[in-house]
Amino acid sequence: MKRLVTVLVVLSLIVGGAFAQAKKQYKIGAAVYGLKAEYMRLWTTALERHPDVQSGLVKITVFDGQYDASVQQAQFENMVVQGYDAILFVPIDINAGAQAVATAANAHIPVIGSNTRVKSDQLTSYIGSNDVLSGNMEAEAVAKAIGGKGNVVILEGPIGQSAQIERRQGNLEALKKYPKIKVLEMKTANWSRAEALTLMEDWLNAYPGKINGVIGQNDEMALGAIQAIKQAGLNVKKFPIAGIDGVTDAMIAVKNNEMVSILQDATGQAQGALDLALRAVIGESYKPKAAFWKDVDWGKTMQKQYSVPWVPITQNNVDNLLSERQALTNR
Amino acid sequence: MSERERVSAKAEMSSRDQGKDGEARLKGIISEYGIVLVFFLFCAVLAFASPYFLKPKNLINVLRQVSINGLLSIGMTFVILTGGIDLSVGSILAFSSVVAASFVSTAFPGRTEAAPIGIAILASMGVAAVLGGVNGILVSRMKVPAFVATLGMLSMGRGFTFIYTDGMPIPKIDPSFLVIGQGTIFGFVPLPVVIFIIAFGVAWVVLYKTRFGRYVYAVGGNEKSAKVSGINTKLIIFFVYVISGVLAAIGGLILTARTTAGLPQAGQSYELDAIAAVVIGGTSLSGGQGDLRGTLFGALIIGVIGNGLDLLGVSSYYQQVIKGAIIVGAVLLDSFRKRND
Amino acid sequence: MNIPLLDVTGLYKSYVGVPALENVSFRLEAGTVHALCGENGAGKSTLMKVIMGIIQRDRGEIAVKGKSVHFISPRQALDEGVSIIEQELSPVPDMTIAENIFLGREGPGLSPFINYRSLNRRAGEILATLGVDLDPRTKMKRLRVAQTQLVEIAKALSYDSDIIIMDEPTSAIGAREIEKLFSTIRRLKAAGKGIIYISHKMDEIFDIADTITILRDGRIVEGGPAADFDRERLIRNMIGRKIDTEYVKNNVPRNELALEVRGFTRNGEFSDINLSVRRGEILGIFGLMGAGRTEFLNALYGVTRADSGSVYLGGEKVRLTAPRRALRKGIAYVTEDRKESGLVLVRSVADNISMAALRELSPFGFVQRRRELAKVDEMISRFSIKTPSSGQLVKRLSGGNQQKVVLGRWILIDPEILILDEPTRGIDVGSKHEIYSFISDLASEGRAVIMVSSELPEIVGMSDRVAVFKEGHLAGVVDRDNVSEETLMSMAV
Repeated sequence: MKRLVTVLVVLSLIVGGAFAQAKKQYKIGAAVYGLKAEYMRLWTTALERHPDVQSGLVKITVFDGQYDASVQQAQFENMVVQGYDAILFVPIDINAGAQAVATAANAHIPVIGSNTRVKSDQLTSYIGSNDVLSGNMEAEAVAKAIGGKGNVVILEGPIGQSAQIERRQGNLEALKKYPKIKVLEMKTANWSRAEALTLMEDWLNAYPGKINGVIGQNDEMALGAIQAIKQAGLNVKKFPIAGIDGVTDAMIAVKNNEMVSILQDATGQAQGALDLALRAVIGESYKPKAAFWKDVDWGKTMQKQYSVPWVPITQNNVDNLLSERQALTNR
Repeated sequence: MSERERVSAKAEMSSRDQGKDGEARLKGIISEYGIVLVFFLFCAVLAFASPYFLKPKNLINVLRQVSINGLLSIGMTFVILTGGIDLSVGSILAFSSVVAASFVSTAFPGRTEAAPIGIAILASMGVAAVLGGVNGILVSRMKVPAFVATLGMLSMGRGFTFIYTDGMPIPKIDPSFLVIGQGTIFGFVPLPVVIFIIAFGVAWVVLYKTRFGRYVYAVGGNEKSAKVSGINTKLIIFFVYVISGVLAAIGGLILTARTTAGLPQAGQSYELDAIAAVVIGGTSLSGGQGDLRGTLFGALIIGVIGNGLDLLGVSSYYQQVIKGAIIVGAVLLDSFRKRND
Repeated sequence: MNIPLLDVTGLYKSYVGVPALENVSFRLEAGTVHALCGENGAGKSTLMKVIMGIIQRDRGEIAVKGKSVHFISPRQALDEGVSIIEQELSPVPDMTIAENIFLGREGPGLSPFINYRSLNRRAGEILATLGVDLDPRTKMKRLRVAQTQLVEIAKALSYDSDIIIMDEPTSAIGAREIEKLFSTIRRLKAAGKGIIYISHKMDEIFDIADTITILRDGRIVEGGPAADFDRERLIRNMIGRKIDTEYVKNNVPRNELALEVRGFTRNGEFSDINLSVRRGEILGIFGLMGAGRTEFLNALYGVTRADSGSVYLGGEKVRLTAPRRALRKGIAYVTEDRKESGLVLVRSVADNISMAALRELSPFGFVQRRRELAKVDEMISRFSIKTPSSGQLVKRLSGGNQQKVVLGRWILIDPEILILDEPTRGIDVGSKHEIYSFISDLASEGRAVIMVSSELPEIVGMSDRVAVFKEGHLAGVVDRDNVSEETLMSMAV
């Protein structure tokens, strides 16, 4: 009896889903590595705000990869079977993702990478921000703020994801110029605020009074470090802390002088990626819709790489950025 | 036995069965084949809802995607039949897969060229057998409850994986290894599916045709009776955990080959799907009752639901709700059936 | 005239058509100890459970202090002033003595907080009256069985009930505590309370009881002032019945020793058991609950380990450290509780029968199904097991047929020595008879049979010799010529 009820529930969900697919449109899949942290949620929301999605020309289906490479692989296989027109890809693993790209490429489905790199030359194009540059920028900011000498700790992203690899590269390059700065600890907190909180607490206990600055390869982790410092009863404003991404809580923290951050343009990356996907599917007759193409060259033909610029968040622009963010996340 | 004796034997049976023969027979069929019927029902619904479902390519995808969980579920069936449970299969899968990767990858520190894949396979199965063996000893000899012992191994196994890889994925796997996850037979049957079918066949023979299989059922049905009957219950329990570990390793080999990297994050929560498949398939968590066919269809149902909902673009969160509902439904149906016995 | 504390009239209780109590009438006067005697299965526990409201009577009246009552739960009985010290001890192991004693009534009023000081103090007082030197804050799991029983007694006493039922209260405790218990009982008597005392220990009964009632097969057979009874009369009434079951006996013991046990001891369970069985002989083992018979068998078979002693098979010393070793030496063990340790209820008749013989039936690890089924069918017909097919789940068979399945399993391996623990317990008369003839046949084929039973007529009817266990010791071994129910019972109590 119970099983029958379950079947009926499933049935209605399925039939409901079936009816949701009404007219023929461009079917584009967005395979993102995970949706637990704010940045990818901003990315996804921005994608859905793209004018062509709003108009119904494009139907976007978001596939949550649950931080598991084999899940992303399976999702790619499913998209191939269903004959998706193009795929936007934010991989969890820089190497494993290549396999997924190959699967799509073999079926002649264009794949546009966004935000996170994958080691594949079968990618139709990649649009992202230069993570080495941002890693560089944030490390510089912290180094300068502690007067060029002292101890820093680095909170890293998931090991093996391109953002972690490149931001680390940027971090270490910048710090090399300051021989009097020592990196006490460098560990992954998997982009997670909660993990960073625990890690920072432990470090504060292990190195009392010795930590001078904190470099968080993303905002969530930097925010976690701020929490830890506050809960330890220390004055967070005495710790130069840097993050990357520009998530809402970080912008507020910047406003309160608790940290510095660099905005990653999720809208640019997401909508730009969709523009490139449509360019691949429709052809050069397609005109891009994302705002950031004002500053970046669309070009005569599709390039392999497009760079979305970083925007350092300062006291001057933080209010504007906050209201823009509001506009994006409100319906 | 004479006809008269058989008739009087029927009379001796519980009075509830008498007179309800027809209804009992229908119930019997439903409980025997219920899982198969439900599976085909789901397939029928999905075929109606999505034009892609019955496409051969899709069906093959489903089978390929099910093969890893299928392997884990086979091992889990053995364990649950003895009244135990193995929460560590995901971690064992991860550890053995990075061990395998470390042998066939030139990116692993200290390795200049890939070892023969045979070595990688043996090493990963060996390591998994050891971890499974530890589980087995804890449960059979030290009387640690299976839940606790394998929960500990879930943590430890994951820890070993991170220690071994220093937290980093192992890329650059030798192409010859990849065939395990990506090769095909006859041009279209994926190798993972073949591996699963072979493993299933072997498991079938072991469970239903050998003494060992009988002992597994006896130990699960009533450990004390089994012991008094001269069965080495400790050894049987030990071995089912080893089997579970080794099957997890095989799953890990396929996973590594499919994702072309040894990923220390792999396999998280895989034990839940394995347990779900076994439970949906009608195997009782108290042991001694259940079969592999049920597990097979349990795994297929999970795979089909996941695939179907993906095809329809339904969020993975709904999948989780539905999966949970099916598990509870299956168990309720099962206990309802038992109460009527 | 005084109203009796407890007045039971015309009580009837049956289980699925089998009568457990028939027309039982019983009266407990204030200020007296009324002893209730009878064999295992006579109905004593059933009667007490009905009085306590744990089970419900079919017919009859119960009056407490003149008021007609119908308890549907022990709580009601407790409220009306009836408490019981049960035979089966079931404390909460992780709680302390005081907590166990006052479980469910930790404090007056609705306050959620427990006043531990008061709890411990009160518990200490009760323990002191029993002469028990234990800290009420000790956790139950740390106590020995004897101490646990004392706590159980203390708990019943703490209710300060007018009627106290004591079911085998001294089975685990020593002489000193028994004395303390008895002086407490005398004090309670003086205070006008009434005590129903169930025990098979004759000495105690004659020491403490004012009145004695004897129960046999669910009926009252005799009752009266204790002064009118002596041991002989008591035993005779407990046992005496018409022997309506015929025992089949056609075996002749041979001279070879099949099994010999010397100095077998397991601390706390049994000590210094010396026994031997010859080929073709049926050795009966008799004893009351707690005598250590099943414990002895378990240790003999390797289910548990003896602390000292040795076992000889056919003259050769052997170490039976696990059942599978005993099995390989040709010993079979039909356990006391077929559902708990004999059968695998969820498996088929065939699976259960072939279970011990699988080694022979699967030479290369693969079970030879055809041979297996043939042998299973052989056993089904040999023991006339009534089942529609060998694939039938064993839990659907009647008790008698289930027992035959167990027998079939063990005979299949063709054992030299067959150990049976209560082989006809819970079985209908017809099947019993069948089983007796099987046992006899097996013995006459030259096997050695050890049969433990608490049914006197069975033991007397079937055995060539009977070993009597008493409180963990061997009270003696009696030859068939000298055996009688009275002799055995008097040795066992």
